[in-house]
Amino acid sequence: MEFLNPAALYGLFLLPLLLIPYLIRRKPRRVVFSSLLLFIEHGGQAIAKPWGRLRLPPIFFLQLLLLLLLILALAEPVVSVRLSNIAIVMDNSASMQALEDGAARVALARDQARRVLGDLSANGKVDIFTIVPQLQKINNEPVSPSDALGLLAGVEPDDLADTPANYGDVLNQLTANQKYERVYFITDRPLRGQSDVIRVLTVGKPRDNLAITAFSVSPSSLVNRRLEASVEVANYSGQDQRVTVTIRDDGSGSALASRELKIPARRTASATFQGLSEKPYYTAEIDATDALTLDNRQYAVAANARSLKILAISPRPQALNSLRMIPGISLTIVAPEEYQQTDRSGFGLEIFHYSAPALLPLNPSLLVLPPDSNPVVKLGNPITRPVASGWRESHPLNRYLNLTLFRPAYARPLVPQTAGETIIETVQGPVAFTIEHQGKRLLVLGFDPFPYLGRENLPMSIFTLNFLDWFISASGTKGRATGEPVALAAAPRESILTTPRGGKHVVKPASTSFTKTFYQGIYQLNRGSDRQLLAINYQSASESDLQHSKPIELKPTESAIQGGSTLFSFWPYLVLASLLLFIIEWFFVPPVNRRQLLAAAPGPKLS
Amino acid sequence: MLPEPFTPEFLTQLETLRLRTRKEFLGSHTGSYSSPRRGTSLEFADYRRYSPGDDLRYLDWGIYARTDRLYIKVFREEVDLFAYVFIDASASMAFPSTQEKFLPATHIALALSYVILANHDHVKLHLLHGESMGPASPFYRGRRRMADCVRFATSLEPRGLLDLAGSLGEHLKKLRRPGKAILISDFLMPAQSYQRGLNLLRALNLDIAVIQVLSRPEIDPPFTNGGLNLVDSETQGEIRLQWSARARQEYRTKLAHHNSELRSFCHQSGIHYSIYVNDRDLSNFVFATLPAIGLFK
Repeated sequence: MEFLNPAALYGLFLLPLLLIPYLIRRKPRRVVFSSLLLFIEHGGQAIAKPWGRLRLPPIFFLQLLLLLLLILALAEPVVSVRLSNIAIVMDNSASMQALEDGAARVALARDQARRVLGDLSANGKVDIFTIVPQLQKINNEPVSPSDALGLLAGVEPDDLADTPANYGDVLNQLTANQKYERVYFITDRPLRGQSDVIRVLTVGKPRDNLAITAFSVSPSSLVNRRLEASVEVANYSGQDQRVTVTIRDDGSGSALASRELKIPARRTASATFQGLSEKPYYTAEIDATDALTLDNRQYAVAANARSLKILAISPRPQALNSLRMIPGISLTIVAPEEYQQTDRSGFGLEIFHYSAPALLPLNPSLLVLPPDSNPVVKLGNPITRPVASGWRESHPLNRYLNLTLFRPAYARPLVPQTAGETIIETVQGPVAFTIEHQGKRLLVLGFDPFPYLGRENLPMSIFTLNFLDWFISASGTKGRATGEPVALAAAPRESILTTPRGGKHVVKPASTSFTKTFYQGIYQLNRGSDRQLLAINYQSASESDLQHSKPIELKPTESAIQGGSTLFSFWPYLVLASLLLFIIEWFFVPPVNRRQLLAAAPGPKLS
Repeated sequence: MLPEPFTPEFLTQLETLRLRTRKEFLGSHTGSYSSPRRGTSLEFADYRRYSPGDDLRYLDWGIYARTDRLYIKVFREEVDLFAYVFIDASASMAFPSTQEKFLPATHIALALSYVILANHDHVKLHLLHGESMGPASPFYRGRRRMADCVRFATSLEPRGLLDLAGSLGEHLKKLRRPGKAILISDFLMPAQSYQRGLNLLRALNLDIAVIQVLSRPEIDPPFTNGGLNLVDSETQGEIRLQWSARARQEYRTKLAHHNSELRSFCHQSGIHYSIYVNDRDLSNFVFATLPAIGLFK
């Protein structure tokens, strides 16, 4: 027998409260008597023991039984009639790698699954599911319990965060679609709510944890070639922690820099390391001995140089030629009508100068005063020497820029046709507007920043360097999170992508992304003689916070209730029995007598 | 103004009674109780040899005729009686109320006093409470002093804790004449306590009578079953107990044993003992029970 609402059983602790009215009723009446001589036995004891034996009337036991039945009814007892078709959903998110007294949570989960399968009949059928990267069945056909054990042994947690799905709905849907008699979800997250078909088995306890939440290595600016590493560490514990952050060359394993960092409880702290020597890729580590070791390390790849390959599409190429004077910029200029025939692979930025593509390009793009036929913005009426009335604070595009001096000679306010972020705004409307499209950055300007005049037009030159740096940083070395797709530039032939665990994937020429970034580490893309390194890191604050795991909300739905046909619920019978007892109790002690009893409770004083 | 039971008929009936003593006391005046001294009553006591100066009227001429010796007939002296009535005035005598226990006790005392006064004997009332000497009346004699007796007996409210031996001892220190002692109490005290008190009376060669007065609630406590917090009316001590039919039966047994022990002690000590329960008719008790135990002639 099981209870669908076991929390109601805590009501059993309230049962002794039923004694209180009887104890109050039994409160001794204070009666003066002539002499207590005859009430005292030889040893000075009372004739009857103080309070005597607790004598409770039969109605008390009736009421006790009544309350007991009501509490049991609230707990919703059910008896499993038979179980032959179940599903086991294993949480294989990264937090299942956390250690519980030396054993990984996933091992505890396997033990739980073993117990569940042990209770199943020998001819029962089992389906095994994992939840990351998405809920998926790992067996094609239902398997026997013994085969299920073998399958479960092969389930290992990925370096992926839990999906933000509502598991209550997902599991209810699964139950309804697959007609499972019961679904066991074995996870490290706590449960809230209850369902008669879905059983959540929680493994592990809240643990302290420290995690590197960000790690990047990049040149400090477009023109500065010195590398700078930035590390952010979060403390998911209730007390301050002190850790040593070490930057290593992951190729040789040698330490490049190290610093001790104090992190307040439930806060983050960051450290910056400057003057790093150039390495293919780097590792940041903290020396914490916490429950989850996965997030104690992160990877980053530094660009060999801050360079940007630009494809400019402009009817006025003279103005764009001035960009060639900026170090690290390689420029190819084509006329708008030649754009379609141009091979656009390998370009880090496409500048559409007084032109626009029919469809948004796959590369990061800059649209300067595009014609009205562009798909992103409409242009307003021309204005001369507009004054910036608002701007996005602390945005990389506005860095070092004195916008009171920023007054382009000619501009047209933008009317965005899609969601984005306004960077610079005038009274007439925005003149700089950014969009993130399929992981690519797009900047639309309502003024012409070209030609690049260096010190002769300092505000515009700073803005130009800012947006070039912004585009470089987008295509550069910043690590990505596990589970996020990696955008791939178009390639003329097949490539091989090697994962951190040695897995090799063939990337088709038409492939624009790689999605199986399930493990933290360095991914290597080999295109002939070219080699591209990608740093993929496990970055999930909610998953690393082992103290406050988000609970799973279970709500019984109609489909789930229909699926619970294997459970025989007898709480209605308990309620009926309670009603019957209530009537019997009413019959024995009607309310009038009850009042009389209570009124007569304190005995009359005899003197 | 006499209390309610003392109707003219009741008083007339009382006048027919005479207190009986089993001992001879030295009285102060001529009365109706025999004295150890020889006197001039009609009751022959003994012979003695004639001495010159003896009244020739008491010579037994028959003996002289047979033996040729002169013998004088000696008669008993009849004197009046000194009676002491001790009334327990402790707080327990006010249970369940003064009217229901203490008042009947005083009525018994007054009835006895009236019998004594009506016979021109002396009566002195003593109220017992506490460890020290309680109030005591002067000796009253003659039925006209009945009002004084009533005034004295009703002058005090029962209160406090009674140490019978201690209180009696204080009263007995001032007692000069032996006589009849009547102790009226509920005797709800340890056996050692009342035994020491009664032994004090015995030591003074008093002819003792004991009347135990109890109220009906003391014989059959009217408690309903359940928890009780009983408070002693004298000591204010408290005990908690669970009252039940079994506890009631046990209490009754103990009370019967306690009374039996008292009665047995009195019997062994030559003390008249009688028990009066407050719901009983007073005249029946006075005119039937007390003569039956030999208190009245």
